[in-house]
Formats: sequence, C-alpha cells, structure tokens
Amino acid sequence: MDLSNDLAAQLNAGAILPEGLVIVTLMAVLVIDLIVGRKASSWLPYVAIAGLFATVAALVLQWDNPNPLAFFDSFNSDDLSVIFRGIIALSTVITILMSIRYIEQSGTSLAEFMAIMLTATLGAMFLSGANDLVMIFVSLETLSISSYLMTGYTKRDPRSNEAALKYLLIGAASSAIFLYGVSLLYGLSGGETNLAQIAAQLAQGDSDQALGLAIALVFSIAGIAFKISAVPFHQWTPDVYEGSPTPVVAFLSVGSKAAGFALALRMLLTAFESVTVEWHFIFTALAILSMILGNVVALAQTSMKRMLAYSSIAQAGFVMLGMIAGTEAGYASMVFYLLIYLFMNLGAFTCVILFSLRTGTDQISDYAGLYQKDALLTLALSICLLSLGGIPPMAGFFGKIYLFWAGWQAGLYGLVLLGLVTSVISIYYYIRVVKMMVVKEPQEMSDAVQNYPPIRWNLTGMRPLQVGIVFSLITTSLAGILSNPLLTLANNSITQTDLFHVANAAAVETVAQVAEDADPVAQ
Amino acid sequence: MFTTQVPWLTTLILLPLVAAFAVPLIPDKDGKTLRWYGLGVGLVELALTVYLAATQFDRTAVGFQLSETYAWLPQLGVNWSVAVDGISLPLLVLTAFVNTLALMAAWRVSHKPRLFYGLMLALYGAQMGVFVAKDLLLFFTMWELELVPVYLLISIWGGPKRLYAATKFILYTALASLFILVAGLGLAFSGDRITFDLAELGLKEYPAALELFAYVGFLIAFAVKLPMFPVHTWLPDAHGEASAPVSMVLAGILLKMGGYGLIRMNMELLPNAHIHFAPVLVVLGVVNIVYGAFAAFGQTNLKRRLAYSSVSHMGFVLIGLASFTEVGLNGAMLQMLSHGLIAAALFFLAGAAYDRTHTLMMDEMSGLAQQMPKIFALFTVAAMASLALPGMSGFVSELTVFLGMANSDAYSLSFKTVIVFLSAVGLILTPIYLLSMLREVFYGEAKAETTPDHWFSDANPREVFIAVCFLLPIIGIGLYPKLAMTSYDTKTVHIAQKVGAALPIFATVEPQEMTAERDLFPLTPALIAPPLD
Repeated sequence: MDLSNDLAAQLNAGAILPEGLVIVTLMAVLVIDLIVGRKASSWLPYVAIAGLFATVAALVLQWDNPNPLAFFDSFNSDDLSVIFRGIIALSTVITILMSIRYIEQSGTSLAEFMAIMLTATLGAMFLSGANDLVMIFVSLETLSISSYLMTGYTKRDPRSNEAALKYLLIGAASSAIFLYGVSLLYGLSGGETNLAQIAAQLAQGDSDQALGLAIALVFSIAGIAFKISAVPFHQWTPDVYEGSPTPVVAFLSVGSKAAGFALALRMLLTAFESVTVEWHFIFTALAILSMILGNVVALAQTSMKRMLAYSSIAQAGFVMLGMIAGTEAGYASMVFYLLIYLFMNLGAFTCVILFSLRTGTDQISDYAGLYQKDALLTLALSICLLSLGGIPPMAGFFGKIYLFWAGWQAGLYGLVLLGLVTSVISIYYYIRVVKMMVVKEPQEMSDAVQNYPPIRWNLTGMRPLQVGIVFSLITTSLAGILSNPLLTLANNSITQTDLFHVANAAAVETVAQVAEDADPVAQ
Repeated sequence: MFTTQVPWLTTLILLPLVAAFAVPLIPDKDGKTLRWYGLGVGLVELALTVYLAATQFDRTAVGFQLSETYAWLPQLGVNWSVAVDGISLPLLVLTAFVNTLALMAAWRVSHKPRLFYGLMLALYGAQMGVFVAKDLLLFFTMWELELVPVYLLISIWGGPKRLYAATKFILYTALASLFILVAGLGLAFSGDRITFDLAELGLKEYPAALELFAYVGFLIAFAVKLPMFPVHTWLPDAHGEASAPVSMVLAGILLKMGGYGLIRMNMELLPNAHIHFAPVLVVLGVVNIVYGAFAAFGQTNLKRRLAYSSVSHMGFVLIGLASFTEVGLNGAMLQMLSHGLIAAALFFLAGAAYDRTHTLMMDEMSGLAQQMPKIFALFTVAAMASLALPGMSGFVSELTVFLGMANSDAYSLSFKTVIVFLSAVGLILTPIYLLSMLREVFYGEAKAETTPDHWFSDANPREVFIAVCFLLPIIGIGLYPKLAMTSYDTKTVHIAQKVGAALPIFATVEPQEMTAERDLFPLTPALIAPPLD
C-alpha cells in the first residue's frame, strides 16, 4: 500500500491530464470512424474540437501547479509548458477548422487526417514539457513522423509526395544529428538523462569535456533549428510549405514551431546552462541569418505559400531575439509573440485556404482585384498580413515592440536594429499582397478572381472556415490594443517557472551588458 | 489613475477611429449617406477641438494640460497618456480644420467610397493621436498608424504614377520612423527608471553620446516627414500623385508632424544636442528654401510645383527652430500653421482645376481665368498668401523667422548675414514661380482645342466655401497674428529659454572645439555667448 502510494506520488499522472484528453479524443475519432464510417465525417471534427477545448480547459486547471514534475521528473508541467501546450492545442483547433473543407475537397478521409493531426499535437505537447532526454526524443519523433505523414496526405498530388519525401529525408537526418548530440550529452554527464541532472553533472565536469560538450551543443541546436526552421536549417521549409496541404503547413508553422521553441528553452536553459555564452552566440548567428534571409528572399516570391514560408523563417528570427536577450522580459516577449503569431499566422493561412478553395490557385498575382469580389476575405487577409508586418494597431506590432523592447533592455542594440530594418523590408512584401487585392482596378483583375464563384457559406465545412476567419480577424485586430491580459499571461508563465530563476541569474552573470544595464523592472 | 474629468483628448483620438471601423456597417445605397457620415464625424470632431481650445485650455500655463493617463501596457512601462500644451493645441485645431475640409472636398469620390471614407477617418484619428500623445510609444504607434491609410489613399485614388509614389512614400517613412523607436528606447532605458512619458523623459539627464545619438535618430525620422533636403524626394511624387483631399491632408498636416516632432523631441528633450545640430538645421533650412524654389520653378506639373514650394516653405521652419530665440521659434510655429492652411488651399484649388481640365500639365492649360473666374480669384489669393504678401499669414511668419534669426546671439554676424541673404533669395524666387504658374494656367488665350466643346464650369458653392474657409484665417492671421500666437506664446518662450539655457554651458565646456571648427569652415557659426565664470 505504501509502495503504491509512493509510486502514485512519483508518477503524478495528473500532470499529463491534458495529453490524456488528447489521447482519448484521438481514440474516439478513430473508433467512431471505424464504426460509423463516412457518415460521421460531418460531425466528427467537432468531437475533435470539443476534445481539444477540454484539453485547453485542463491546461487552465494546471496553471500554477504546485507539483509540476511527473513520471520520475521526466515530464514537467510548469507554467511554461502549460502555455506552450495551450498554444499548440489552440493551433490544432484552428487547423481542424480550416481543414474540414480542404480535406473534403481533396477527396481524402477527414477522420484519418484528424487522427494524424492529433498525434502530432500529442507529440508537440509532450515535447513542450519533456524534461528527460528519452522523453524529448520520443515526443520529438512522434511529432516528426506524424508531420511527415501529414505533408504527404494528399497522395494523388505529386507536389505533396515530393514535399513529404523531402521533409522525411531532411527530418530523419536532423533527428539523427540531434540524437547523436543527445547521446554525447548522455555520455558527458556520466549516464544521466534528466536535464537538471545533466546540468549538475556538467557543472562539476572537468575542462577536457569542452570539445565534446561543444559538439553536443551544436548537434542539439541543429536538431532544434530544423524544427523552428532557422537559417541555415531552413532549406526544407519553402518546398514543404508549397507542396503540402495548406492546413498542414499552418500547423507546421505555428504548432510545430512553438514546440520547437519550448524544447529549445528547456534544453538550453537547463542542460546547457554551463555554456550559455556559446549558445547565445550560436542563436545570435541563427537569428541574424533568419531575419535577413527570410525577409529578403520573401521579397522575390510569387507563390503565396512560399512567401509565407519565408515569412515564417523571418518570424522565427524575431522570436529568437527574445531568447538571446536572456532576461525574463525576453522570454516573456517570446511567449507573447508566439501567442499573437498563433492568431495572425493561422488567420493568414485560413484566408489562403479559403482563396485556394474558391479559385484553386496560390499565386500572389491571382489575388489581384479580390476586394471587388470578396471584401471579408480581403479585409481578414490584409489585417493578418499587416499584423505579421508589424503595422499598428494590429497585434503583431505590439508583439514586435515587446521583443525589441526586451532586446534593447538586454543590450542587444545591433540585433534590435537589424530586426527593425528587416521588419521594414517585410512590410514591403506583406503590403504587396494587400496592394494586389485592394488597389487593382476592375480591369486589372486576375482571371481567377474574375471567375470567382458566388460566396456561399452553407457548403459543408465552409461555416467552420468562416468562424476561423472571423475569429482570427477579431483577435488580430484587438489583441494588440487590449494586449494587457495576454502580456500578463506571458509574464506570469515566465516568472512562475523555476527554470528561469536559475537561468536568469546565469544570464546576468555571463552577459556583461545585461549586468550593466540591469534595471529594477527586470529583476 | 481615473479622473472624474471628461476624457476629452481620448475622445478626440477614438471618435474618428471608431467611426472608421463603423464605416462597413453604414447602409449606403446611393453613395450619399457615407459622405454625410464622414463630414458629420469630421464636424463633430472639429467642434470638440474648438470647444476644448476655447474653453478648457489655459493659454498661460506652460506644461501639459488636460492630461489623461491610463495604464495600458504596464509591463512595458507604456501608458495611454495624452495631453496638450501650447505647441500641440494649435496644430490640433489645424488638423481638425484641414481634415474636416478635406472630407468636404472629397464630396465627389465615387470610386470605392466606403474604403475611402474609412481610411480618411482612420488617418484623421491617427493625426490627432500624434499631436496629443504624451507617451513616446503611443506617439510612435500613432505615427505608424497613419502609414497604411496614406499608402492606400495614394495608391488607389492617385494619379497615373500612384503606385510608384505610394511605395516610395511608405518605404521612406517606415524606414525613417524606425529611428523614433530606436531613439525612444535609448532614452527610455537610460538612467534608473524605464519610462516613455515625455514629461518624465524631459527631466532625465542623458549622457552626451546618448543625447547626440537620440537626436540624430529623431532628426532622421522627422526630417523625412518635414521634409528636409536631401530626404525630401518622396514628397513631390506623393503630393503630386495623390488626389486633392489626400494632398490637402499630406501638405497641410503630415508635414507639420515633422516640425512638431522636432520641437517636441529634439528641442524639448535634448536641448544640449540641439546646440550641436542647430547650425546644420539652419544650413539645411536654407538649402530647402533655395533648392525647393529652384526645383519648383523647373516643374511643369502644377501639383509638383506646389509640392516643391512646400519643401521651400518648410525650410523656414527649420531656420526658426534653430535660431535659439523665442521670436524665431514663434515664427516657426506660425509658419507651420500658415503653411498648413495655404498649402491645403492651393492643393484643393489645384484639384478643383484638375477636376475640370483633367490635366495637371501647366503647358496644356491656358486662359482658364475666362472660364472659371472664381477659381482664378481664389487661386490668386492663395498664391499671394504663399508668396508672403503683406497682410497674409505667410508674410508674418516668414518675417518673424527672419527677425528671430537676425536677433539670434548664438551665431556670428557673418553667418547670419549669409543665411538671411540666401533665404531672401529664396523669397524672391517664390513669387517668380508662383506668378509664372498663375500666368501659365489662368492668363492668356484659352487653348483652341478646349474652348468650343468643353466649356469648363466654374467653382460651385461648396468649393468656394472650402476655399474661403482656408483664406479667412490666412488673412486673419496676416492682419492680426496674435490670433494664433497667443495660444503657443507662453510655451515657445519656455522652450526657447530651456534651449537657450543650455547654450552658455556648452560654450564653456567645449570652447576649443568650436574655434577649431570656425577656422576650418568660415561659415560655421561661432558661439559667441560669454563663458561662465
């Protein structure tokens, strides 16, 4: 009896209640599909969405969990993981909303798609809280393998096949590299798999480990950078984004990326705490390259999805700025930006899906003159793109301001300046699309828009799409002005997480400028 | 934080913005409801502003008034903090005035009217926000908020090269306005307290290097907006291509945002750096005047000529700001108000002429005076005001700037002589290009191909009303400048004293450096203020 109580306390299984709910939803979707068949496809998505909302509710209950460690410290359900899991679950909700019609039109089974999507969500959520090398790798692979499956989901489309193959090959290689780095870490720490234990072992390790540790660091970062598609590990992004079904791209650009950032934070701040200066250096390089390359190459794109791919690379560069700042404000600005990015990027993808469902094209030039035919779609896409470009009063502006604010506070003047300049470049390509839709005269309308079908929201799966568009439109335009609750949420998730108290002290010690400009607000 | 006082200024910002968001919901079948809606919002806003200026504003107070502060993003130290003082209030009234008349001037817009009125109202609110913001990040937000509406207004309703002009506008302005944020972050994080409040920032002491850096940052942003040579090149394109109502707002208000920013940020927050840069401002101001005048003379497009004349006139603002005298500063303020009215009137009348002739090329127009005598008369009066005819506001303001510069004890006599002489050359060029414009457009024989079939109608009562609305205050200020000056006099005296107070301190700290500069460049001003013992 005693033993079982002890075991239950150590397992602390309640910490993964949200994930449990995702699993239940996943099973329910599979079983219902098996029993009821295709007839269920009209209401099955709502089962999944209800399950995910239950997951979010469970996450809300997990907030400020006094006892976050579960399964022998291999899973950490602290506030940081809660907020990242929330972002991932919400991104799946919106992705399912937008995929109903898309999958219907592509003639494939919706239930299977949702099952894979939920599996990916599960992996991503576990990854956000994973505190143990084995746990990290297992959840990373769960996420990755279901992502490969999803990218190739429209199997009759050769571009989708190509995307899946590319993603699989590069992804498998990067997983292998990551695994190699992790195995080095395991050896260097004398056989520990828990991140905190590794940090403790490494801290007292001798100096001849330096080379091994450096390789472990570089290889781990390579694996993480692949997930968040930071330059130079971004090569897969444009091709995969262009070829994959658009809802999958939406999930990859938000949910999967958020999981990558959660992994990066947890791993780098605990296991690699002793090499903070080094990983800051590497991430600075990644951020600079991502911001420059992402924004500059996006200028030249003619396909909407490729443009959004490069834009997401650039956005990852901005988010990294908060990580490099290494202060609580920096991490909070990261979380805040990801929260906002969730709405604006998914909003943009929802609009792209709606447009391609009605016209069958993703070319930017085909958007010409859309304002005359579909004002709502034009408005929503314009607002989301302008928000991504950081134009006030949209949410993205405030997200960027906070990132730059935190960066400046931490003394990253050069990076902030670069971020500002590249975000002006980004305005150019975002506004190009807006210009295409709004400014073009009726006689300059593209053929696709000229043959634009009459707007009908009563087709199967169109209503959820409309809900998704209106929801992201409202949040993107209001979340900035009324961003106080979101900011508080982001700040609390950081201040109430133990991870950062240790990390923050280390960062202040190592980064001289931070100590110099340290101010009462950040402390 | 919350006061029982009525949140006037917040209402002023939010009313047009909320009205803009409500535009899609207005039922508008025949296209007539919307313009009444737009005009109605504009009039209510104008009435509110005038009411505030007349009854709530204390002209004798120096500091910020009618302050409202609400916690907005406390995590970032950003407040929704608005207030007015002597330099923002006149510009606020001007903004409401010009924008309301621009909404009236846009009566005939039939192409996408819904979008047009929505954007115009959003632009209206953003401009009001710029002038009342008391928080640097709020100022920056409002400053950026105006970008996209202007971009779309130019690129949808503009002339043939509108896309080029709009893109040029947004890239110039967006890139330059980054520096507001950079400089603002630098100032906010300096010292032991993070604050974006302008009043608190003004009390902080900054390291010299930071002050110079922030000054340059602000200067880049505001110089593009003002516009100052050599970053003025977006302006002729944008003003030339925009439709008349948009040009009115661009020339009438948006340029003044640059001048306002220079006073508010550069002079009030950074008086020590202002001493270093004031000579540069004076020299560039003269370049603006002379270069703008010559360039205007070379234009064949009516609106481009007016645009370059704006460049020329804004040079006086720069000279006035850098004169270190309250007279000069007063002149700069008056020049902003006066140019706001005159340029808006000229662009409006140019638009009215364009509506009839469908060309802006002056060599294609001729003898319009016979066919549209009212437009001719109004245009002539506005042009006279622009060339600083005595009795008009332009004369008073430019004269005051000259007086301020001539009386300034911050510059050496030779420097002042050269500056005043060169600006006077610019003043002679102004009548040349404006009168030749009148001659080409209105005098002479009407062009043969236009006369028989196309008899152009003269100005209708609405157009006459708008033009007269502009001309009355122009003449009023010209005859009785105190009309405008009383509102900002106390504040400009205060700023001039603050900037002037920094002067002798600077002269004692770095006398060596200044003499060295004087030897190198005979024209560089020498500071002749006596050293402090």
